[in-house]
Amino acid sequence: MWIPILILTAIGIVCGILIWVTNRTLPPEPASLQKAEEVSEKLPGMNCGACGFPGCFAYAQALAKDKNVFFSNTCTTVLQNQKMLDDLEKSLDLQIDKDSMNKKAVVSCTGNCENIGTYLGVGSCKSANKILRGFKKCPYGCLGLGDCIKVCPQKAISIDIDRKIAVIDVSKCIGCGLCVKECPRKIIKLVPADAKVVFLCSYEGLKNIPGRGKCDFGCIRCRKCVKACENGAITWNEAKSIPEIDYSKCDSCGACIEACPNNVLEKLTDIHIRPKPAPKKK
Amino acid sequence: MNSLLTIFLGMVLINNFILSKFLGLCPFFGVSKKLTNAISMGTAVTLVMVIASVATSIIHKYILIPYDVEFMNIIIYILVIAALVQIVEIVIKRTNITLYNALGIYLPLITTNCAVLGVTLINAQNNYSLMQSIISALGGGLGFTLILIIMSAIREKNELADTPKSMRGLPIAFIIASLLSLAFMGFNGLL
Repeated sequence: MWIPILILTAIGIVCGILIWVTNRTLPPEPASLQKAEEVSEKLPGMNCGACGFPGCFAYAQALAKDKNVFFSNTCTTVLQNQKMLDDLEKSLDLQIDKDSMNKKAVVSCTGNCENIGTYLGVGSCKSANKILRGFKKCPYGCLGLGDCIKVCPQKAISIDIDRKIAVIDVSKCIGCGLCVKECPRKIIKLVPADAKVVFLCSYEGLKNIPGRGKCDFGCIRCRKCVKACENGAITWNEAKSIPEIDYSKCDSCGACIEACPNNVLEKLTDIHIRPKPAPKKK
Repeated sequence: MNSLLTIFLGMVLINNFILSKFLGLCPFFGVSKKLTNAISMGTAVTLVMVIASVATSIIHKYILIPYDVEFMNIIIYILVIAALVQIVEIVIKRTNITLYNALGIYLPLITTNCAVLGVTLINAQNNYSLMQSIISALGGGLGFTLILIIMSAIREKNELADTPKSMRGLPIAFIIASLLSLAFMGFNGLL
């Protein structure tokens, strides 16, 4: 009866000793890997891939090799969290200016654009965009088929049924920029997280596309916002025929939001709770 | 020599671990979404299977049979395999970073893979010699890799197909697996 117990114990002990011996006799792991492990503990571990590396550990390895990778491929989840940011700054000896790097994504479209036909194809924006530049009247409007929803690691994007566009919940958005790359119409833009005003139209009036026009809810190019701004933060971009906001000058007074006759300028925090605009009579 | 070939082919095609023994099904469904992951996983499983079958066949021959404690083979094999995987992981980590990155998380994961335990138990059941055990483990591992690669290739294609909504993901994967299994039954008369 004792023999099986003794054999099992002996094999267990031998295995333990073998592991101990290999651990001792082999050269220690390379310093880069040790540092990478240390760094990876400071990372969120969501493996979202927004930084462009396959997972958080690969990102940690790149950071351990060259800490300036953080500036070219920023982990936006760390930026959102003060404690994580402090930890990472300490372990990598970095100086991170949080405010200038933190971003939020915004779908630059007011929605409600008319359809020029019925689209029955594959349910993705990429395929719809290939057919005659999409099924909306405006070639810069959000198609609302939700390619961006699939890539969002935070599930911050949803479809607004009233306006038939994708909207991003600013409180959930971590500014990773995955949706920006995904959008085939290039209408998702990254704005600084402390921005107050965002411009919700991407129509470039001077690029005349036959058979297409601006929808009734977009920017009407009245330039009231340029005049309303007392700080000179809004300038008119003649090449694209849309206003541009310089966020370093904006003091978030909100004068432009009130001046805009078509509600194309909006508070960043209010985008996803905007009331449905009343349809205009022609 | 003929019997070694028979064992090898038998493990790869006829008694394939996934499709006819139904062992190692968790990595089969979990890791077969992408071809690159499937290849990493298959390599890791093959490596561990061969090392584990060498160790266990020595233990079987020189410890279990002489002391007549063959009934304990499952618990002893689990112990040995777990320790071996740990040792292999340490060795790879310290000596070859590239290989460690390629195998990634899969190496520690397969400590608890039933296919690895299965191959050692089959070796013990059939009283294989050391050489025969190695060949059978190699065949088992390669068969596992083969199925993982076939399955991941099919599933990558299937992602693009217009599957009914209720069948997307795992349901269609189960159906694909059963069809694959039926197809592999055709190898039954090979040997």
